[in-house]
Amino acid sequence: MSLRTYAVAYLIFLYLPIFLLPLFAFNDSTIIAFPLDGFTFRWFGELWTTPALHDAVQNSVFIALVTAVFSTILGICAARAGAKYDFPLKRSILGLIMVPLVLPEIIVGVSLLVVVVQLFDWSLSTWTVIAAHVLICTPFSIAILNGAFQNIDTSLEEAALDLGETPVSTFRLVTLPLVMPGIISSLLISFTISLDEFIIAFFLTGAEPTMPVYIWGLLRFPQQLPAVMALGTILVVLSIVLLVIAEYFRRKGLARAGLKDKGGFL
Amino acid sequence: MTDAARDAIISLRDVDKFYGDYHALRDVSLDIAEGEFFSLLGPSGCGKTTLLRTIAGFEEASDGTLMLAGKNMKGVPANRRPTNMVFQSYAIFPHLDVAQNVAFGLRKRRDLDAAAKARQVEEALAMVGLGGFERRAAHALSGGQRQRVALARALILRPKVLLLDEPLSALDKKMREQMQGELRRLQRQVGITFILVTHDQEEALIMSDRIAVMFEGEIAQVADPQTLYRRPKTKKVADFIGVMNFLPAEARIEGASIKVEIAGLGHATLDAGQCPGGAVSGPAQVGIRPELMTLAFEGEQHPAVVEGQVAEQYYYGDMTYYDVRLEGVPEPVTLSMKNIVGRPVLERGAMARVAWDPRALVLFSE
Repeated sequence: MSLRTYAVAYLIFLYLPIFLLPLFAFNDSTIIAFPLDGFTFRWFGELWTTPALHDAVQNSVFIALVTAVFSTILGICAARAGAKYDFPLKRSILGLIMVPLVLPEIIVGVSLLVVVVQLFDWSLSTWTVIAAHVLICTPFSIAILNGAFQNIDTSLEEAALDLGETPVSTFRLVTLPLVMPGIISSLLISFTISLDEFIIAFFLTGAEPTMPVYIWGLLRFPQQLPAVMALGTILVVLSIVLLVIAEYFRRKGLARAGLKDKGGFL
Repeated sequence: MTDAARDAIISLRDVDKFYGDYHALRDVSLDIAEGEFFSLLGPSGCGKTTLLRTIAGFEEASDGTLMLAGKNMKGVPANRRPTNMVFQSYAIFPHLDVAQNVAFGLRKRRDLDAAAKARQVEEALAMVGLGGFERRAAHALSGGQRQRVALARALILRPKVLLLDEPLSALDKKMREQMQGELRRLQRQVGITFILVTHDQEEALIMSDRIAVMFEGEIAQVADPQTLYRRPKTKKVADFIGVMNFLPAEARIEGASIKVEIAGLGHATLDAGQCPGGAVSGPAQVGIRPELMTLAFEGEQHPAVVEGQVAEQYYYGDMTYYDVRLEGVPEPVTLSMKNIVGRPVLERGAMARVAWDPRALVLFSE
């Protein structure tokens, strides 16, 4: 009984603020307060007619796509090496790669800013954001892909070699199809993380803000708040959809390998 | 060069394998003839699987030579060896259906068109009794069916040698017995050399033309099933293959024969064939199988009989096993009797007369 109360209280604490987003996004008033005034699509329409927002979204989607691809490729390499080979200090190396997962993002952001601007004297751009996002997304990719690669029975790859395939064609014909659900899951999760990442992007973004940075900019203008709510609603729905798809592929991968579920993100 | 070496499809000479400090294979020399059903038998960790994987090309021998169909296999990767393997886990590709699994090895065959490949797949599946299973998904197969798919997938390539790594260990008893017969039949039908790795001595005896018994990375004896069972070279081999009683004895070589004084049984004269490990005068052990001793009942004639007492009795229905205590022997000897009509089953504590035949004895020098 008490556990159930706790669980319900916890869920309310966790999700009530998020439920407020769509509530005010459809509320026909510029003031974010109860009582509600009436139903409207006005704020969504406003989003549609703001070119600065379109630029920011485009910028963010581009960053997220490139980040997803890079971090997944790096994840494939690390997970593959971890699953297949033994090398000195393997555990420490794989552990070190995972550290950005727990580093405070503000520390990562500030130190990257120092490296980029002071040490190398590069100018801030979309690419500096991509580099930083790859850094924080790669541990997630590795975590997902590690599971996918370690679930592969090594005798499957040996069987392919035994049947005349080269190591390269074995990877393409056996390994890749079996880890494909993990790869898709990794792409989606990295994409989602990069898309709504704010702190690092705030430090490293150049003249073209990413969407979260743009939203932060809007907060200074109270009359823009309902539009931000509308945009937030879209982002929440999009994030949930992407995560569900990612989880679907992760489970499909497990089923394909004939294994029982051992955790995951959802 | 011996006949065996000349006809050998596989020839190993002084093959060693090290994993760091661990000596997994020690000076293994072996010739396996074309068309032979050969088994590598031994307890887990004896190196039998390492030897199989070395032949397959998944492990590289640290030292020594491996000839396969007359070619030195040094540096030849698994995908270019004329061998195919049936894995212990079967290694059925889970993302492909049965026909795609079986056809996997034909992918590189540019000389075959799709129709020819489909026909070969159909034939291979029919051969293992899985006709009509072409479109079945891999996960929808039972253990026995997976085993058959793995066999068809390996045999479709007509390898010079088929390697089988404990292929029956994952099956239940009934299925295992059925597959033992089928594998044997299949091997005769295709005429390909089969090398089977197993820890099950019964399985090795039933299926093989010849068996190599391995302990701790070394081959202890290579022989056909009957020789291996009747004339094991060492006590260890005798103990691993079936049950054998060991009795302390004193041996004395006299010309071509060996006189032995056996604790509990008495005198016997053996010929050289009964000392497969070689005879030396002095303390020895004499081995005798349970089914080669019998209880002697009234009015029966036997070459030699000693008195004893039933220490324990195990009734199996078709057979009865007895532990019989003999005078001058610390451990009771085990003997088995078929429960034929009219033969009584002795109870625990009953006096028993144990009949034995000197021809059944095997001598192990110490």
